[in-house]
Amino acid sequence: MSTWNYVVTAHKPTNVTHSCVGNFTSPQDLNLIVAKCTRIEIHLLTAHGLQSILDVPLYGRIATLELFRPHGEAQDFLFIATERYKFCVLQWDTETSELVTRSMGDVSDRIGRPTDNGQIGIIDPDCRLIGLHLYDGLFKVIPFDNKGQLKEAFNIRLEELQVLDIKFLYGCPKPTIVVLYQDNKDARHVKTYEVALKDKDFVEGPWSHNNLDNGADLLIPVPSPLCGVLIIGEENIVYCSADGFKAIPIRPSITKAYGRVDPDGSRYLLGDHTGSLSLLVITHEKEKVTALKIEPLGETSIASTISYLDNAFVYIGSSYGDSQLIKLNLQPDAKGCYVEVLERYVNLGPIVDFCVVDLERQGQGQVVTCSGAYKDGSLRVVRNGIGINEQASVELQGIKGMWSLRSSTDDPFDTFLVVSFISETRILAMNLEDELEETEIEGFCSQVQTLFCHDAVHNQLVQVTSNSARLVSSTTRELLNEWNAPSGFSVNVATANATQVLLATGGGHLVYLEIGEGVLQEVKHAQLEFEISCLDINPIGENPNQSHLAAVGMWTDISVRLFSLPDLNLITKEHLGGEIIPRSVLLCAFEGISYLLCALGDGHLLNFMLNTSTGELTDRKKVSLGTQPITLRTFSSKSTTHVFAASDRPTVIYSSNKKLLYSNVNLKEVSHMCPFNSAAFPDSLAIAKEGELTIGTIDDIQKLHIRSIPLGEHARRICHQEQTRTFAICSLKYNSSSAEESEMHFVRLLDDQTFDFISVYSLDTYEYGCFIISCSFSDDNNVYYCVGTAYVLPEENEPTKGRILVFSVEEGKLQLIAEKETKGAVYCLNAFNGKLLAAINQKIQLYKWVLREDGTHELQSECGHHGHILALYVQTRGDFIVVGDLMKSISLLMYKHEEGAIEERARDYNANWMSAVEILDDDIYLGAENSFNLFTVRKNSEGATDEERGRLEVAGEYHLGEFVNRFRHGSLVMRLPDSDVGQIPTVIFGTINGVIGVIASLPHEQYVFLEKLQSSLRKVIKGVGGLSHEQWRSFNNEKKTVEARNFLDGDLIESFLDLNRNKMDEISKAMDVSVEELAKRVEELTRLH
Amino acid sequence: MDSVPSSGASQFLANLPSRGTFTSPSIFSHQGGMRVYVCDHETTPPEGQHIKTNQQNILIRALKLKNVSDNSKKRTAEKALGASAKKPNNQTNSQQEGSNSQTSNRNFQSLTVERLRALLRAKGLPTKGKKEELITRLKDADGSA
Repeated sequence: MSTWNYVVTAHKPTNVTHSCVGNFTSPQDLNLIVAKCTRIEIHLLTAHGLQSILDVPLYGRIATLELFRPHGEAQDFLFIATERYKFCVLQWDTETSELVTRSMGDVSDRIGRPTDNGQIGIIDPDCRLIGLHLYDGLFKVIPFDNKGQLKEAFNIRLEELQVLDIKFLYGCPKPTIVVLYQDNKDARHVKTYEVALKDKDFVEGPWSHNNLDNGADLLIPVPSPLCGVLIIGEENIVYCSADGFKAIPIRPSITKAYGRVDPDGSRYLLGDHTGSLSLLVITHEKEKVTALKIEPLGETSIASTISYLDNAFVYIGSSYGDSQLIKLNLQPDAKGCYVEVLERYVNLGPIVDFCVVDLERQGQGQVVTCSGAYKDGSLRVVRNGIGINEQASVELQGIKGMWSLRSSTDDPFDTFLVVSFISETRILAMNLEDELEETEIEGFCSQVQTLFCHDAVHNQLVQVTSNSARLVSSTTRELLNEWNAPSGFSVNVATANATQVLLATGGGHLVYLEIGEGVLQEVKHAQLEFEISCLDINPIGENPNQSHLAAVGMWTDISVRLFSLPDLNLITKEHLGGEIIPRSVLLCAFEGISYLLCALGDGHLLNFMLNTSTGELTDRKKVSLGTQPITLRTFSSKSTTHVFAASDRPTVIYSSNKKLLYSNVNLKEVSHMCPFNSAAFPDSLAIAKEGELTIGTIDDIQKLHIRSIPLGEHARRICHQEQTRTFAICSLKYNSSSAEESEMHFVRLLDDQTFDFISVYSLDTYEYGCFIISCSFSDDNNVYYCVGTAYVLPEENEPTKGRILVFSVEEGKLQLIAEKETKGAVYCLNAFNGKLLAAINQKIQLYKWVLREDGTHELQSECGHHGHILALYVQTRGDFIVVGDLMKSISLLMYKHEEGAIEERARDYNANWMSAVEILDDDIYLGAENSFNLFTVRKNSEGATDEERGRLEVAGEYHLGEFVNRFRHGSLVMRLPDSDVGQIPTVIFGTINGVIGVIASLPHEQYVFLEKLQSSLRKVIKGVGGLSHEQWRSFNNEKKTVEARNFLDGDLIESFLDLNRNKMDEISKAMDVSVEELAKRVEELTRLH
Repeated sequence: MDSVPSSGASQFLANLPSRGTFTSPSIFSHQGGMRVYVCDHETTPPEGQHIKTNQQNILIRALKLKNVSDNSKKRTAEKALGASAKKPNNQTNSQQEGSNSQTSNRNFQSLTVERLRALLRAKGLPTKGKKEELITRLKDADGSA
């Protein structure tokens, strides 16, 4: 790999941090706005549920999100503040459907200690000011003027230094905040302040309340007319106002999120750390609160945000599990639960660890992540491509073609499946037991191969064989009419739709037939100069039964031609170039755009935009899908049309944002496919592959496919063992049922196909599983799982004891072979020169695998290296060891065989708090640190002095905006040897927000080109809310902020393809490169993920 | 053992607010294929809406505010004492100007629009228009007077 890196998101963040409901997209629309760290999603509430409108990337990590309505406005504005102290107010322009920046600004202060308990951003309910608490001891006010415009911000000194929450109170003549804080004796209190805008200062508020619950952490302001505030503690809930005070005890729990149900604030939903949802009710007489009541409702994902939508439906946003759409039922179910989960929205976050495997051995990587936390922990199998869920299959050799037919024109379902072989045709149909059974259609010729079949109008079926075209009644199944090929000629290829048949015989004869009621009539005949290789008349115009265009692929001159129907006049001729003949052509339309697809015999696919009125072909594009001839066929899934390209690498072609996208299907070689929508198997496909006929449904058409394996416990480390076909995980289970919360840690063995737990090893009390690898040792042929652990005792600051456990897998069971006690936590393990390299607290220790006299093995310490704060992450390559330290960035060690010692060679002297490291190549190492940055360092082996050689030089810096937990070499996509991108090495990373990203090392030439493209794009694609891309990507931590270098933002670069033509032209001009060339180069990059 | 309470939460779950959505008996969401927003229009905020923080030190500001409030107290005190306490080079000489019909064009120019409007209002003239118009109007009034 190299220093020139391209960073791109393969899976967007899914961790939901904030949500709110309001009238954002128009005064009538009710919207749900969801924040997923660096993106916001805008949904519309409809009668049928949530309809997603827009996914908005932001140049910042969202710290607060609020909807508010300034005076005199008909719809809500969106206030967003980012963690890097920017804020913006967005308005939806209903006419242009664009987000307009109403105001924005920088709210950072030069002096000030960032708050420990998170940034707070609140808006006065009467819209007089925005309040921000970003630094300890300061409260920032951005006042509104009377026209709803923002004015210059100012700071007010806040005496309380340990603020837990701040909210605005409702119904106050002057804007009033209520502050929940902790004093220096750790007691918690609330206090109110009026904000005096003129004096830019606080005035002591109307009330305060001392000595609250020690776990009080959350304030809920209650709207008028009740006013006041609810203080949510761990053991009680208190209502407080100027003239009222009510308290109720609750079951001990930590409330993580709340959602207001009624506009008057008489009911609230509370979600706690275990995922249980409760209803808090304020009973009141007139404006006086008489009592509080709390009722448990049931269980959801652990909520980070709760938004009451409408009509008893609630959105639960989660950071630790899938977000959910739930319904509150009036009556409980059998378990006494009032919550009904209707939809789950996949969340991979937090990805604590992952591994890249090729389970199906197709040459394509899959990522298996440890996702979620607490009870919502799970494994997720993420792979590129679309899965087929097999429902039935039969062994059938030598299938040459397949078509499904209906028993009558009006029947919504298919009945027959025609399967053609080299010298016969068989017809399968569903019997009453919903089994596929062989049947007959008397009018069909079954002793020969069928070239094409189709349903025709007037309850008819049409079959084309090499001798004739037959029209058969679908009700009586008798032959109605037949068109015979002229003597001496046989039909080579044929196609048909409901009213038309087009066939080609040897000698370049093209014959066009029309289907009438009981008649098959030859309408037109044309003689072409060469043989015809493929045909298509799929209707893409207004009439679904008839096409006015025919696509024809030719031998000899390797061209594709368009003819008009019915008169067979040549409209367009397009030479394909090369020597490979077209094997399949298809006319199709996606999202209102017509295309001509043309598949070649070598696995390449050409696509053209087709102007259906003039027949003009434009925007020619070529992609490689496989190496074998491709057969194209359309099918429908969820009422959208897609194209299936059957070949050695079956692919689904679909359209999104008016772009054609290609997605692998997770099947090996498929020779033929046809849609088969029968009553028993609705929306299914019949697939012919390797001597087998399979009926199956297709997954949702999307680029990444995610399979969830819920564990009910929190998986922290995962690794795969190829030889035993197992996964091993370190996991922990929280036990919250007893009064004392306790944790149990396990090493679990899972089957790599079924993901069933097949064996478990329980760790000791207080013993944590820290790391797991699969490895083997020199002079021993077995493979082992090695587990590093730590004894985390409550009274110790750092663990002083741990273990290395060596397991083998015997008959599906974990067998402990050896164990070695260590003097600290084993944070990392690596297989190293046939030995085991462990990172134990501040030390790197090498163990060799020694055979004892009694025939058993043990780990014996060989050598070590001190000198780290905590050696958390270790990667090795040859004799080199790269260590990521808790706070001392990256250092490079080397193992010296002769001396049997480990020595430090070089280090990066920056103070980076590391979260992951990886070796890109011999000289370049990649690191991620805890302020969400990426950087690379370079070994300086040519340095003149020892001092220079001992320094790792920073090569690249970049703000990713994501907390990376793990890097792994590998790829999510199939690497085709003939494509350019197949040669680009990649590293995959996983983050807390559930992002899976790819870092690709580019050749220098390409990097320079893309860097230029990136800077041109910065001028055209503007940051939402006026946020700057350059600032966003600049490396930033407590110590320094420097411009990004040697990293490119792939997400920005790839959005080139989503631009409209004018903007593309603008960039093309600035770059002096044609739009086609730019699009081609960017499209190539999209195939990296 | 948590038994399901007979009354339970049911009594509180009645009459949940409804605003006319989520009414269909079959709820299904359209999640797939959400359009990704590409912002290719200008996003800088309108003039004056690029918000900055007042850089004045809080302490200094507090002192100044105190000073101003002290001053204004003094001033009100002076006013209470009446016009006799006027200093020779008093800044608040609008009263004099208002009464002085011989005010030159230059003097009018040096006054703020607010002040000009106040003068116009005092003369019972319309107060709308640009500064130039206000000055002409005042001058005309003076001339005619």
